[in-house]
Parts: sequence; structure tokens; C-alpha cells
Amino acid sequence: MYCNQPPEKPGNKKELLEKITNMARANSLWVTAYGTGCGAIELRPLHTSRFDMERFGIAMRPTPRQADVLIISGYLATKTLKRVIRVYEQMQDPKYIVALGSCTINGGMYFDSYNTLNVLDKYLPVDVYVMGCMPRPEAIIDGFSLLMQKIKDGRAQGWKHYKENLDYYRENQKKIITDWDLPDYNW
Amino acid sequence: MIDKVKKELEIRFPLLKLVREQHNYLHVKVERVSAMDAIVMARTSLGHSVLQLISTVDRIEDDVFQMTWILENYSACTVLLISADYPRENCIVPSLCQIWPAASAFEREIFEMFGISFPGNPREGEDFLLEGWKDTPPMRRDFETEEYAMRVYGERQPREHLDPRQYIGDIVGEWNTPMGRKREEEK
Repeated sequence: MYCNQPPEKPGNKKELLEKITNMARANSLWVTAYGTGCGAIELRPLHTSRFDMERFGIAMRPTPRQADVLIISGYLATKTLKRVIRVYEQMQDPKYIVALGSCTINGGMYFDSYNTLNVLDKYLPVDVYVMGCMPRPEAIIDGFSLLMQKIKDGRAQGWKHYKENLDYYRENQKKIITDWDLPDYNW
Repeated sequence: MIDKVKKELEIRFPLLKLVREQHNYLHVKVERVSAMDAIVMARTSLGHSVLQLISTVDRIEDDVFQMTWILENYSACTVLLISADYPRENCIVPSLCQIWPAASAFEREIFEMFGISFPGNPREGEDFLLEGWKDTPPMRRDFETEEYAMRVYGERQPREHLDPRQYIGDIVGEWNTPMGRKREEEK
């Protein structure tokens, strides 16, 4: 089941195709229904009728296998990080991470907690940070429009960065997850 | 109703200290050798048959852990709190799992957070909240939370300038959206 080699980079011929597919990807973002912290409460008004994120083509999916956006909503405990890594690695390429709130940027109000990590992008590649504590649904929509723009321009390459620098991310992850029992990542 | 409980306890345990009393609430402090007897008596003959919570306070000044068992009597709507002090070093407290199986969860949590051992708990030492914790138990007051967080999770370096363009350039930001570009041109 596992492949040993990372996927080949697209050649020049594939670049045009990549641009067209990026257009399509940007307009149908499917989000894993997985809330990690207090920020998940702001996603409820976002995907119900008041703010209605489906008008942007953003939909919630029940399983990571069908989704391509993972929202890290708020503070992330080390115990949750283990589950988040597992969810992220099960998602199909291409995949993007949107991080909400000041806790994911620098720890926020949990900067001195014994169980909450401070800087998220040491452990997972983040494409868009949305600041605020917590960001309102308008701010999250703004973050999503930024993510769409990045995908259209071909700059949302966090998933490739994760594959190319897997050793760096693994080292950081194993530093804080002391009872490491996750399966090895396969491409 | 609570007066009767108080009288019975005072007859049985003459060294009992009264901490606080209200019309349906009684907090008493007993010697640690008679703590288990007081709890069993409260359950069997005084009608306080529901264990609501086991709480621990780390009183490092007196070099003790203060354990408090909160017992409730649903039919009479009264609450009885029984406290006892245990020495901090190699702290051992008898388990209540034989009387209330639900005490197991509280005791496992206290074991992880304070390092207090409960001999007699069949699930002692299993992971409860922290997975693979190797440091000092985090709720002890001699645990240096901030030092631990800086050592394990690190710190994001603060910015020297407040202009975000210095750090992220033209990659993201409102100056790169159509509205922002228009505004820049107008300037």
C-alpha cells in the first residue's frame, strides 16, 4: 500500500492543466468537520443560513478522505495534535490548512500552558492564518477568500512543503508527542 | 437534617473540625487515619450515598495535599464535604473504588495531575488526560509552568517592525486583492 518515492513534480506540459485545475479547486473547498478548540463555535453560524459559506462553494464533509481543507480552530493541545496529524495525513492531495485565532499564531492566552502548543507552523504547514480571539464569521470568510486567491495563483503549496520537509516536521512533532504511535506517513 | 449529620459525626470523631456550615451544606475536616471511616459512615448510615467529586488542593506552605470528598444526599438535598490532609512526599491515599466504582476516574485524574497514588484502584496508571507525560505532574505547585512551556513549545520571536509588508511581502494582504490594488493606484 505504501509508496516509497514522493510524487514527481509536474512538468511544463502539466502547468497549464494545473492552472485550470487550481481554478476548479479554489471554487469548491470542502472542509473536514473537525473542531479542535473553542473556535469551532464560530463555524456554526458560518455554515448555517446567516453567513452561509456554501455560497462560496465551501461545504462541510464528514470524513477527511473527502475533504481538502482542515481548519485548526483555536488552541491545540498536544493530545489533539496527535489526532490532527492523523486527520491531515489521511486527507487527499491537495490539502490546505486554515488556522484560526491568536492561539495558533503565538499561543495566545495559553502561551504558558503545560499542554498547549504555541507555534503551529512548526508542526503542520499552515496556508492561511486568520487572526482574532476568536475571529468572527466575516473574518473567516475573508480568510477563505484569501485562500481561494492563493490557490488560484498556485501559491497554496503547504502540502508540498510538508512532503519535502517531512523530517523537519516529524522531528518537531516527536519532540512534544512523547508516546508516538502513529503509522509512518505514506505519499 | 444537616444538624443530625453533624451531631453523629461529632460523637463518632471527637477530633473533627468544623470548616463551614450552612442550612444544607457541611464541610468538616477529620484526621487522616479516620477519613475513610468518616466516608463509609456518611455513606452507610448518614444517607450521603452519592460521590460527586474528589478534589485536591496542593498546600505547599503546610507541606500537605488537602483531599476533599464531596458527598451528596439526593433525598434530603444536603451536601457533606469531608477533608483530610496527607503529607506531600510519596503521597498515598486509600482508593474508594470498592465503594464507588465511579471514583476510579477521579483518582486517575488526580494521579496524573498531582502524582498521588491510590493503591486499590484497578486502573491506576492508565492514561487519562495526559498521554506520555514524563515531567513533574503539572498541577503540583512546584511545577514551573512557564519554564516548561518555553522549553518544550518554544516561543515565536516578536516582530521588530509593525509593518507586515516587511515580513510577508506582497504574498498576502489586502494590498494584493483587487480592492487593495485599486486603492494603492489611487494613492
